[in-house]
Amino acid sequence: MAMTHLVRWAARAPAPVYAAIGPGRQAEVERLLTRPGLNRAKTPRDAAILLVAGDLPSSSLDALNRLHDQLPRPRTTLRWLDGDQEAIAHRITTALRALCDGAAGEDDRLPDTPANEWKGIGPHGQGGKGMMGGTPYGRPMAMTGKDVRDGLQLDRYTTRVGPFAPMLPPGLVLEVTLQGDVICEASVQAAPFAQPAEADAPALCAARMLRLLGLDAAADRVIRGRPLRAAWVTGAVPRGLARINDTDARDRLSAWLRSRTVTVAPPDLAALLPGSEWSEAMLILASLPPSALIRAARATEAA
Amino acid sequence: MQAVIVILGWTAFAVVLARALQPAANSTAPQAAPFLGGGTPDMHAWQRFHFRPYSMSLLFIAFEMEMMFMYPWAVVFVSEGIKALAEMGMFLAILSVGILYGWREGIFRWQ
Amino acid sequence: MTALLVLAVLATLLGGTVLAALMDRAALPLAALLTRQRVETEAPDRMNRDLSSAWYLALAAIGLSVVPFAPGLALIDSPVGIVIWGSCEALVVVTVFLHGWSPNAPFPLIGAYRYAAIGLPIMLPSMFVLIAAALPAESLSLIDIVESQREIWNVLRQPLGLPLFLVVALAMTLRGPMDYADAADIATGTSAEESGAARALWQVARLAMLVSISAIAATVFLGGPLGPVLPGPVWLWLKTAALMALTVWIGNRVARTTPDRMLTILWVVLLPLSFLGLIIAGVMAL
Repeated sequence: MAMTHLVRWAARAPAPVYAAIGPGRQAEVERLLTRPGLNRAKTPRDAAILLVAGDLPSSSLDALNRLHDQLPRPRTTLRWLDGDQEAIAHRITTALRALCDGAAGEDDRLPDTPANEWKGIGPHGQGGKGMMGGTPYGRPMAMTGKDVRDGLQLDRYTTRVGPFAPMLPPGLVLEVTLQGDVICEASVQAAPFAQPAEADAPALCAARMLRLLGLDAAADRVIRGRPLRAAWVTGAVPRGLARINDTDARDRLSAWLRSRTVTVAPPDLAALLPGSEWSEAMLILASLPPSALIRAARATEAA
Repeated sequence: MQAVIVILGWTAFAVVLARALQPAANSTAPQAAPFLGGGTPDMHAWQRFHFRPYSMSLLFIAFEMEMMFMYPWAVVFVSEGIKALAEMGMFLAILSVGILYGWREGIFRWQ
Repeated sequence: MTALLVLAVLATLLGGTVLAALMDRAALPLAALLTRQRVETEAPDRMNRDLSSAWYLALAAIGLSVVPFAPGLALIDSPVGIVIWGSCEALVVVTVFLHGWSPNAPFPLIGAYRYAAIGLPIMLPSMFVLIAAALPAESLSLIDIVESQREIWNVLRQPLGLPLFLVVALAMTLRGPMDYADAADIATGTSAEESGAARALWQVARLAMLVSISAIAATVFLGGPLGPVLPGPVWLWLKTAALMALTVWIGNRVARTTPDRMLTILWVVLLPLSFLGLIIAGVMAL
C-alpha cells in the first residue's frame, strides 16, 4: 500500500537526468534541463535517466560506460540525436514512468569484476610497511610529496576527472594531482568537445558560473531570459581569478549578466590551474567562454 | 537525569529509524568506483589530507576555551553590573588583537 | 506530561520536515529516491556511513527537545539548555565530516574537510549571540530566556542576534551560501556517492535540522511560545515556520563564495559583529 503511493509520487516527481553532453550539444542540453518537469542531477547517484546528447567520439565510450554503471538501478539511457526539445522531454517523462511502473532498467555495461583484486598482506590487507603506503584492495594509498603552497609533505592524490564531470566543460578530461583541495599539478588529457558559437551565449555562460555559486534557481531564470533575483552574485567571485586581457572572472560574470558576449585570448591552462583551490579552479574554467577554453585546451593537449 | 534519558532515547530512535529506512547497500564492481565524471582515480581517496586552515584551528581553540568562561559570566552578568561588562570587554579586546595578528599573518587563508 | 512533550517534539519535527520539504520543492524527489537502489562505494567505512544520517537526525531531535512549547514547559528542562544546543551544533560538524569521510571517495572527502574549516568558526558567532540572549535572562535555560522576553523580544533589543544566527542556521542545514559540504563544484560533496534511501535520509535530516534550529531561533529571539490569544505551541509553530521560510529564501538567493574567503569573512566580519552584538546586549541588560 505504502509502496504503491511511493511509486505514484515517484512517477510525478521531476525526472532526475544526468546529462553526458557530446560535441555541439552543450547549449541545447543546458536549455533543455531548465524545463519544469526535468531535474538536473549533479551526480549520477541522484539520477534515474542518463541522457546522452550527440555523437560521442569513440575515445570517450569507456568513460560513458563507467558513468552509466554508476547510476543506481533502475535506470535508463536515452540518446538524443536531433534537436527536438519537446520530443526528448516527452521521451524522458515516458521513460521515468516506465521505470516507476516496474520496468527492469538496464544492466551494467562493464563486467562485474573488481578493478582491483584483493591482494593484501596483513590483517587488513594493507600490504604496506608500517603506516605508509600499501595497496589495500589492490589500489594504492596516496603517498606524500611536496606542496605548492606551504611546502608541507602531505599526501598527493592523483586522478582523472571528466569527460562528463558536471563541474567541468563537456569532454574535458583533466589529470589533476591534489594536495588537500589545492591543485598541485594539472594536465589536459582530452580537450573539451567542439561547441557551436551558441554555447558562448552570455546567458548560458553566466548560468554555468551561477550554478557553481549555488544559485541553481537563478541560473535557470537567467537562461529563460528572466531577471536574476539573487544577491551578492559578482561579489562572491574573488578578484583576480584568471586575469586575461585585463578582465578577471568577476568582470566576465558581470559582463555576461549584462548580456554582453565576452571574448578572451585562450590562456595557458597548465599554468592557470596549478596552485588554485578546487572551487577557484572550477570558477576559473567556468569564467572562460567555451570557444576560448576549447582552443586553450587543444593547445595544452598538443604541447 | 531526564535530559540524559531524552538524549539517549532520541539517539536510539534515530538509529533504529535509519536502520529501518535504509536498505542494505549493494553494488556491482563498476558501480562501486568513485564518481569522477567518467574518470578513474590512481589511488584510494582516504589520505593524510592537507587541511589548509590548520593555523586557524589553533586560534579557534583559544576562542572555544574563552566560551567556557562566558557561560558562568552570562548568568551573573546583571548582578555584577558594569564590572562584568568591563571585564569581558577587556578580555574580548585582548582576544581581538589575536584575530588582527592572525589576519595579518594570513592564517585565515588556505595555506 | 512528559509523554505529551515527547509527542509534541515528534509531531513538530515530522510536520516541520514535511513543510520544509514543500518549501524546498523536495517532497516528490525525496519519495522518488526511496524507489531506487542504494549503491555502495569501494571499501567504505560502513558504520559511519550508516550512522551519520542517524546522528544528524538525533541532533535535530535533541535540539528541539530543549525548546519550551509553552512558558515553563520543555522536554529537557535543563538549567543549561543553551549549552546542550551548543553541543548539538558542534556535533553537527562532526556528523557532516563523518558523512563525507565514510564513502572513501574524493569529492565527499573534500566536502568534509571544507565543512570542518567553515563549521568550526561558525560556532563562535553562534554561541556569542546565544550568550547575549542569556544576559537579560540571567540564566542559560531556554525557559528563562523565554520568560525574559515577556516585555520585549530579543530580536528588538539585540538587533544583531537574529541576522547572525540565520547565517549559523544556513551552515548547520547545509544551505545556499553556507553549503560548503554539499556544493555543486564537488558534485554535491559529502552526498555525491549516495543514492536511494540513504540519500533521501540525509536530505530529511537536513530538513529536520532546519526545523530544529528555526525553533531555537524563534525561542531565543522571537519569544518562542509567547503571544496573545493563541496557545503557546501554536505561536512557536508559526514563528518557527516563518523563520524556516526566511532561511530557505535567503539560501536560494545569496551566492556562495570560495571557502577561504568565507573563512576570512567569518573571523574578520561576523565574529567582531557578534562581539558588538554582545556589547549592545550587555548595555541593554544593565
